[in-house]
Amino acid sequence: MFITKTHLVEVFFTKLVLNLKSEASKTYLSYVWWILEPALMVAVLYLVFAVFLAMRAPDFVVFLVCGKIPFLWFSKSISHASQSITGGRGLIHQVSIPMPFFPLLAVFQDSFKQSIVFILMVTFIFLYGMEVSWIWLSVLFVIFTQLLLICSLALVAAAIVPFLPDFKYLISTGMMALMFGSGIFYDYRERIRPEHHELFLSNPLASLITNYRQVLLENTLPDWAALTNISLISLALIAMMMAYYNKTSTIYARLIAQ
Amino acid sequence: MTSEVMELRDVSVRFKSRKSFFRHTYFTALDKVSFSIKKGETLGVIGANGCGKSTLLKVLSNIYSIDGGKIHWNCRQVSLLALALGFDAELSGRDNAILSGMLLGGRKDEVLGRLDDIIEFSELDEFIDKPIKTYSSGMRSRLGFSVAVKMQSELLLIDEVMGVGDGKFKQKASHAMMDKINSEQSVVLVSHSMNLVQMLCDRVLWLDAGKIKKIGKPDGVIGEYNRFIDKPRPQNI
Repeated sequence: MFITKTHLVEVFFTKLVLNLKSEASKTYLSYVWWILEPALMVAVLYLVFAVFLAMRAPDFVVFLVCGKIPFLWFSKSISHASQSITGGRGLIHQVSIPMPFFPLLAVFQDSFKQSIVFILMVTFIFLYGMEVSWIWLSVLFVIFTQLLLICSLALVAAAIVPFLPDFKYLISTGMMALMFGSGIFYDYRERIRPEHHELFLSNPLASLITNYRQVLLENTLPDWAALTNISLISLALIAMMMAYYNKTSTIYARLIAQ
Repeated sequence: MTSEVMELRDVSVRFKSRKSFFRHTYFTALDKVSFSIKKGETLGVIGANGCGKSTLLKVLSNIYSIDGGKIHWNCRQVSLLALALGFDAELSGRDNAILSGMLLGGRKDEVLGRLDDIIEFSELDEFIDKPIKTYSSGMRSRLGFSVAVKMQSELLLIDEVMGVGDGKFKQKASHAMMDKINSEQSVVLVSHSMNLVQMLCDRVLWLDAGKIKKIGKPDGVIGEYNRFIDKPRPQNI
């Protein structure tokens, strides 16, 4: 039982730092993988779409980077968080710990790595020759909105999987659907009929990717209304999930023991 | 001010296990258990395997929810003494000791303040900065035990952890644990060793199939328990 919330926060950040250290020590290239993995993913997609499928739109490589990097952050965080409560079985059976600790730890772990990838992504776009302006700073709002979205969905996914382990298969299928449905490889304005644009952008991830591109590639301020809507819905979902975990936290220890 | 650190009234815990998609079986681990733990006392919990002792400790430490009854805590910090809590094989003994101490209820400053003491007790010396994946199981147990024995809480719950490691360390560990139990701290001790329970506990609770069979002074409860387990049972042929 933790004495105070401050103590819990202290444990959270100590575990976060130690998890990152542990993860890095498992491979020869250590921390380099945090950057190398997304870079390789982008390279593979570029090879498939730009070279083999000849989708040679101007600036396709930066267009791809702006879509794939935020998507990887989203998909990895949700996948890791979804299995975080079942993965924390050892700890859950030995110490009274609030359940949101586990999905949020997974999200923050991936987000810390992502912050480095984002710095490199912006540097790459700059070196590529895109025009830089103060508008680029507004990307921080897009990143923050995505973090809220990830936290809310991570809390939901982590709550479902211990009750319904089969749900993890749906998550991986859902991620595949989102990868194709969020405009990572294509510009929705060119490929999707105008009457379907609203429907396409109702997918929050598609909307966020569009905003990343708007800010970094088109030097236009993000769609504030869309960001506000996503943030408010995410915050409401986070509040709901926290209330849910507050009522059910000790049920999970028994559930994963059964 | 109340002298009880915790009170349980008609506490029940029932586990569900899935047999097929729609069919489940239920197992009652605790059945209307009521008792209280007084400040500074050591309460022993005895009973056969599967009688609900470990479940009871998990209920007392707020790890498991209950299906019925009420629990009233009059203390802010309860620790289930667990060895190697949160250990990560890739991290050094030092990092693991810090995290484990924090998970056992210590604040970071407090754990850092006791770290030299923990390292000295564990006798790991220069190995403390090596990843614990390079440790033998005895070295791991020594580190886990040292962290657990050096941390403090208002109510300590112990499940059969008295001594670990080789001969000399085991003796030191047993002494340290007995000192801890004999201190002013409130302790709930689960053990199969009747001598230990008799020696250390002020009261003993005997659990049988999730129910309290008897609770009271060690002499009376242990005597009756011994007669119960020695009694010949009908054999199924």
